[in-house]
Amino acid sequence: MKYLFLAVSSFLAIVAQMIAGNNFFLFNFLDLSLILIAYWAFYRNRTEALFVGSLTGILLDAAFGWPLGYNGFSKTLAAFAIGQAAKRFNLDGFGVRFALISAASFLSSLTVSGLFILLQRSTNTLYLEASLIQSLITGVVGVLMLSLLDSYHKVQANRAG
Amino acid sequence: MSIEFSGKLKEERALFIVIPLLLLHLILISLQVEHPGGSLLFRNWVLLASAPFLEVSASIHRAAAYAWTNYVVLRGARTQNDLLQKRVEQLTLREDALRQMEVENVRLRQLLSLKETVPLETVGARVVGRVPDYLANIVYIDRGADDGVKANAPVLAATAVVGRTILVSRFNSQVQLITNTYASLGVMVERTRSPGVLSGSGQPLLSLDYISNSEQVEPDDVVVTSGLDGLFPKGLRIGRVVQSQRGKSAFRVIRVEPFADLLRLEEVLVLLTGSVGESRGAG
Repeated sequence: MKYLFLAVSSFLAIVAQMIAGNNFFLFNFLDLSLILIAYWAFYRNRTEALFVGSLTGILLDAAFGWPLGYNGFSKTLAAFAIGQAAKRFNLDGFGVRFALISAASFLSSLTVSGLFILLQRSTNTLYLEASLIQSLITGVVGVLMLSLLDSYHKVQANRAG
Repeated sequence: MSIEFSGKLKEERALFIVIPLLLLHLILISLQVEHPGGSLLFRNWVLLASAPFLEVSASIHRAAAYAWTNYVVLRGARTQNDLLQKRVEQLTLREDALRQMEVENVRLRQLLSLKETVPLETVGARVVGRVPDYLANIVYIDRGADDGVKANAPVLAATAVVGRTILVSRFNSQVQLITNTYASLGVMVERTRSPGVLSGSGQPLLSLDYISNSEQVEPDDVVVTSGLDGLFPKGLRIGRVVQSQRGKSAFRVIRVEPFADLLRLEEVLVLLTGSVGESRGAG
């Protein structure tokens, strides 16, 4: 059941981004899949976050029409980076979370660019510029969404207590 | 100590998972992306990775064969006599080595004379491996892109055409022999100038097709490249006709035996320039 939820949530994150991006310009610069990976790494299981990264990455590749594996590779790497940071540092602060999510998003984009350069020998500097904007927006939205989640958990805990 | 170690392993579990996952994604990409040469990246990586192993195994095989024939076997037989036996043993060793050098000399001279005859840039190569199934008719040579070899480059043995390169990595290449099921080349019968297509079938004999029943092609006629396929220069020897009879359709049934001994290839010549032209004034 857990893994079904993992797969479905990955798919829905991609679909939600495609729909939102089609209707609201700003959502084109939001990496919802990375926020999902961060959620999984912070609140659930760091190892499972790797698989969330792989799956969402491959779904993204399929959605973009690229050869499968580029985003799979980059999102897995980003998930690993987030997981390792979550293991070693206290991530309760907004600033730390923002820095981590932004850095992970930019790392993911940089990795995809690097793979394109290495394997297909093509470059696109516009992609990197857009990735920088994407990493900032994803960082902000990610922090907001995770804070909302924290508040919701607190409310639930108070009600149960 | 073991509890600490297993605890550490559990902590680093993510590391043991992320590396295979990343490798899996790289393989997935390589199965879809093409190398600039036209083949899949994954095939190129496998060929590149196999290059050192093929070289090492070929060297070990040569060294082992040399040690076996010149030391192990002979040593077992050299216990009875004294100086005379030892002298005979030394002379036998020397004779074996000289014979090998002579055979290699003849082969390399033929290769050199062919290199001088063919007015195109060439590079010599050694055959370092074959696919396990001989019927697949694919061999590997120790020359690649770093030596100027390109895909679809003609490959010749001392006397004749043996195939073309189909996959080229930096250090080695895969050669499709003319007896391969998927091999075909534009040819003509040297005496009658009848053009046709020579195809492999996985068998030792090649099939010469599209020669009209009215053409007078006889056994022992020599078949050469026509240059019409855009791959092989005109006039290079391929084989001789061993069977020629009228066919039930409009074309003759002709079987050709290659001049080159494709099962015992050791050194070959790879053409580096791809232009089609006269090679021996056979036009």
